Amino acid sequence: MENIGLIGAGIGAGLAAVGAGIGIGRLTASAVESIARQPEMTGDIRGAMILMAAFIEGVALFGEVICLLAVFQ
Amino acid sequence: MSIQKTLILSLLCLIGTAFAQTNHTNSETPSEQKEEFNPSETIVHHILDTHDWHLTDIPGKDENGNRIYHPVALHLPWFFYDQGFHFASGTEALLEKGYVPYHDHLYKLKPGVSTEEIHIAHGQVEHFDPETMADSDAHVIDLSVTKASLQMMIVGLLLLWVFISIAKAYQKRDGQAPKGIQSLFEPIILFVRDDIAKEYLGEKADKYTPYLLSLFFFIWFSNMFGLLPINSNIMGNISVTGALAVLSFILVQANGSKDYWRHIIAMPGVPVAIVPLMTIIEIISLFVKPFALAIRLFANISAGHFMILSLVSLIFIMGKNGESVGGALGIMPITVLFTLAIFSLEMIVAIIQAYIFTLLTAVFIGMARETHDDHH
Repeated sequence: MENIGLIGAGIGAGLAAVGAGIGIGRLTASAVESIARQPEMTGDIRGAMILMAAFIEGVALFGEVICLLAVFQ
Repeated sequence: MSIQKTLILSLLCLIGTAFAQTNHTNSETPSEQKEEFNPSETIVHHILDTHDWHLTDIPGKDENGNRIYHPVALHLPWFFYDQGFHFASGTEALLEKGYVPYHDHLYKLKPGVSTEEIHIAHGQVEHFDPETMADSDAHVIDLSVTKASLQMMIVGLLLLWVFISIAKAYQKRDGQAPKGIQSLFEPIILFVRDDIAKEYLGEKADKYTPYLLSLFFFIWFSNMFGLLPINSNIMGNISVTGALAVLSFILVQANGSKDYWRHIIAMPGVPVAIVPLMTIIEIISLFVKPFALAIRLFANISAGHFMILSLVSLIFIMGKNGESVGGALGIMPITVLFTLAIFSLEMIVAIIQAYIFTLLTAVFIGMARETHDDHH
């Protein structure tokens, strides 16, 4: 039973990665679609995409940090 | 040309001191050769900051004919504060002063415990229990130059050399086409200035461009150095990324406009009942931003090193610590291919993380400087 925290941390890390994957996937899909529609806006769209991807990734990293805390507590 | 010669000479000096340091500390043979290979311990040991800059191992034989490895390491001196500043060149000098280095922490020896009780093998303290043998009243503050800080100084010197020579080239070749290293870095410098600083900071960008450029090139160079063998991964160290994030945080707050602070303290245009809640959320997000900056850089760089080291560890796991040569040979092509792929990915990550850190700093400064006319 003492390893149940490790299982929780593993599941949590996986879920955080899944969430970030869905988020960045949807973001990138829309961004690429927009670039295809309006190639002249590529620069602006790319900048906004990377910025938002960084924010999504940030949320996922918080999840990972909490999982790390669960492992090393 | 003379600068290149100086660099090569200093590198040789570094290697020279490393060997000079080794000769007297490794007279005893390492005793842990028969130990089981522990991947997670090895990986964590490689990623963490240390006081010894481990360069390589030289294979040799001990007096019984067993194969042993002599570590070649640069032992960095200790510098610490305990009721006055102290300096010690190595483990022996530290023990004479009554301090014990153990697992990269410095402990003061409890009065009454003799140094004989601490078994020392090839410059490493082996039998030491901080609970019973350390003086719990002493507050030793370790200020030593560690592997990561020495690496950081090397990166800083390299940055100074590169960018001072570029700046001189711009002075000398005013109005002419860039030449040599100047033409290598010009597009990157222009990218940071035009696509990061000017894009998010508008006409006041020139004030912040030096900081953003320093940030970008320091993170990028550090990350690239971290991928080289022997070198330390600076950005895989939470204190370094934390310090960078604190610098950015201070810069953002120092440039906050009146509107920025009003939006934090009392958000205009929302019902009065919700204002205290909004204030709490805004204050949390104030500190979450630099925290996320630090964690993002740290996690991305450490994760890359973790992956590479795990793949290399696979050879030792499959090889059962030298017993199964077939297993090691079988996994080796897969490891080499995957490591190559991850190394290429890490080189892209190195510049992307530098870009994201710089970009987000610029965005946060831009957001803080903004003045709103509308009340939403």
